[in-house]
Formats: sequence, structure tokens, C-alpha cells
Amino acid sequence: MRVSSLQKMRAGAEEAESSGYQRVVLKNASPHHYLRVRLVLEDESTRVSAVDLKTFITSCLRSLFGEVGAALNVDVLKYDEETLTALLRVPSRGLVKLWSSLTLQGFYQNQACAFRVLQVSPFLLALTGNSRDLQLD
Amino acid sequence: GGSNAPHACLPNRQERQRRFPLLTVSSFPCVVATSLQQDVSIHGSECAVFYRQEPPAEPLGFSTVAINYVYELTTKKRQEVPSPVPISELIGQLPVVQGRSRPIKVLNRLTVVMSEASPFVSFPLENRPNDAEYRAFDLLAIQPTTEKLFHTSCMLCEVDIICISVTEKLPFFFKRAPINGAIDRGVVFEVSYASALRDSTMRRYTIANAVCLMESCKGKNVIVSSAAEKALDLRGPYDIINLGALFGLSDADSKEAVSSTCRAVLLHAETRKTASGIVSTRKSQQEGLQDCVGS
Repeated sequence: MRVSSLQKMRAGAEEAESSGYQRVVLKNASPHHYLRVRLVLEDESTRVSAVDLKTFITSCLRSLFGEVGAALNVDVLKYDEETLTALLRVPSRGLVKLWSSLTLQGFYQNQACAFRVLQVSPFLLALTGNSRDLQLD
Repeated sequence: GGSNAPHACLPNRQERQRRFPLLTVSSFPCVVATSLQQDVSIHGSECAVFYRQEPPAEPLGFSTVAINYVYELTTKKRQEVPSPVPISELIGQLPVVQGRSRPIKVLNRLTVVMSEASPFVSFPLENRPNDAEYRAFDLLAIQPTTEKLFHTSCMLCEVDIICISVTEKLPFFFKRAPINGAIDRGVVFEVSYASALRDSTMRRYTIANAVCLMESCKGKNVIVSSAAEKALDLRGPYDIINLGALFGLSDADSKEAVSSTCRAVLLHAETRKTASGIVSTRKSQQEGLQDCVGS
């Protein structure tokens, strides 16, 4: 009885919608978040390769959130060895975890380090421009 | 567009090595206290002043900084309150706030670590924050280590900030009554995050104590500050806002903890020098007065 009344309600709703327009709501449409980060080290002449960086990020996640955190799908899309700047991609549900584990990481191989998160956006295109560096002359 | 994390101004490295925990705050009017672990007399300590690197590497994005002097009280003997080094001696050229044209503000802050009422200290228990020793400091903070003192400092003491210890297990549980009393008076609670950067045990204590605090105070009147001792201990404001989520703060509360609550603390501190926040006095020129009297 209850099931059939629900079905009737749904059918009724569909009929009402099909007569007019259709409204589509996208909640949090972007599946990934993109971060531009830079690793600042105490000893500025240290070389960090892309593989080292990826391992380091996974170890940061593991130290704060354990194996579940380390299982997060973080990708390094671009990496510049000169400035130690990387473009990371992470699923949106893991953004807070990744960001906080990067923030709380203080040491890289016995030297003090800091991750400076420069830009964060759900859209990769938005990372191309930085309005804070804009010179309005 | 995305949310670009603001940058913080790091002062340049200087030749002489004087170690200072300097925390820069961004165009957020945040107050971040850096803790200077030292003896009471500042002259004996090593300080390093960090200056903005050439070219400006990373403005972290803060607009107000507070240099913290920790004053540990014991009942055994009388100790001198440290007197703050004038800001102009520490930093030559203050970096400009990102996006504005004025330089960052640097304030002095005193943190008193107490476990019980000591006969040697008049403040804060007798509410005389305008003693000469304390006048030099812009902000006053207290770190109580016992429940009784926590209750007293929430309800009575003339302080701006109550620090929650993050390097050890909480020695007492938070009760709603003193916390609500403190919120009504405008006193804020502070959690610092620099110790979380060092050690996993410290990290656990920081998060546990912060979560405990947030549950009791419901996210109101909280500031998150760094107790940085070197430039690499600093984090940008958006990083700290994100950290608020770990501590149990909502997004809005987290942002407030770094911006508007900090500004409220600065204003609260300014009003301590005034009479009920309305009237303030300032030394005027003496010569003018004498001229008037003579004629």
C-alpha cells in the first residue's frame, strides 16, 4: 500500500515536471581539487625529484591520517625542480585531509621544511592567473 | 576563479643572529603570537630576526604580528618581568601588508604561565594591568595550569587571551560556566600550532586539547596562532583556516578564528589602557603649559 502510493507520488511529480522545464542541480560538480604548492626547505640547495615529492606527500598523509589517508589518490600533475613548485590534484572529498597534512608537516629528511600552498581551486583553469600578483599601474 | 591563498611577508635574513619568533599576519588582521622560549632576561638569549628575502619570496599575508615574551611564574622567588625590546631595534624596515600600502604592525605580547596565585605578582589577580611593567606590552595573555586558576582567569583577570596548553595532556577539564563567563567578557582562548609541526605526540596533544576546547566553547572566541620560533614554522592564513576543520570548527568559525576574533583581541587590548573604553590619556607637551602659566 505504502509503496504504491509512493510510486504514484513519483509518477505524479514526473508528469508535472515533464510539462514544463527541467531543473538540474549540480552539487559540487567538480570531482577534483587542484593545488599549487611549493616546498620551502631550510637548506635551499637540496634537490627533490618528482618521485621523492610524491613519496613525501604520501608519507605526510600517512603520518597524520594513517593508511586510509595514504590511500588518497593524489597526483602530481606538474613539478618544477628549480623552484620546488608542484601542481597537485586530489579528489574533492580528500582536500581537507591533504591540505591539513601538508600544513602540519615540519620536517623533510631531518631538515625543517614548510609547504606553502599558493593556490587552491576546483578548476584547473583558475590556477593560471593569480589576482594577488596583479600590478594595477 | 579559485581561492588564492594569500602570502605572508617574511622579513629578510639579517647578518647578526638574533633569534626571534616573528609571526607575520596577512591582510587578515590576525594576531599571531610567537613564543620566545627564554630566560626572563632577554639580553641573554640568542635571537634571529628574519627579514623579507630579496626578491620577496612569499608574503604570507598577515597584517599584524605579535612578539611573545613568556614569563614563567614560580612562587619561590621574585622574578623580573621581561621588558620588551623596542620594535625598531629588531626589524629595520617593516614589510608592507599585501594589497595595501601600510606596513605591518608589530606588537609586544606577554604570556604569563601560572599555576597558582603568587604573592609576587600583583597582576593579573588584582586587576592592575596598568602597572609600569605591563604597560609596555600591547597584549596580555595568561596560561593557567590548574583548574582554579583557569576559573579565576576566565572570570576575573584583566587579560586578553587565555592560552590552552598544547604540549601536554590537559591538566583539567573545561567547564561550561567559566568559559561562558570568559566569552561574555570578551576574553579569547588561544590554540597554538607550532608544536604540532615537530612531533607526532605533540600533534596528538594539540588536536586533542583543541577539540576539547571547541566542544566546550562551541567555536566562539577562539584564535589559532602560531608559536613560531623560526620563519619555517609559519603557515599562511588559509592553511590555518583549513586546520580549523581538524579542530572541530565550522568553516565560518575557522575563518573568524584567524581574522575577526583576532581583531577583537587587538581592540580589547587597546581598551585596557582607557577608562571603560571611552577615555584615554596621553602625555602632552609640557612647554606649552609653562608658557601659559608664565604669561
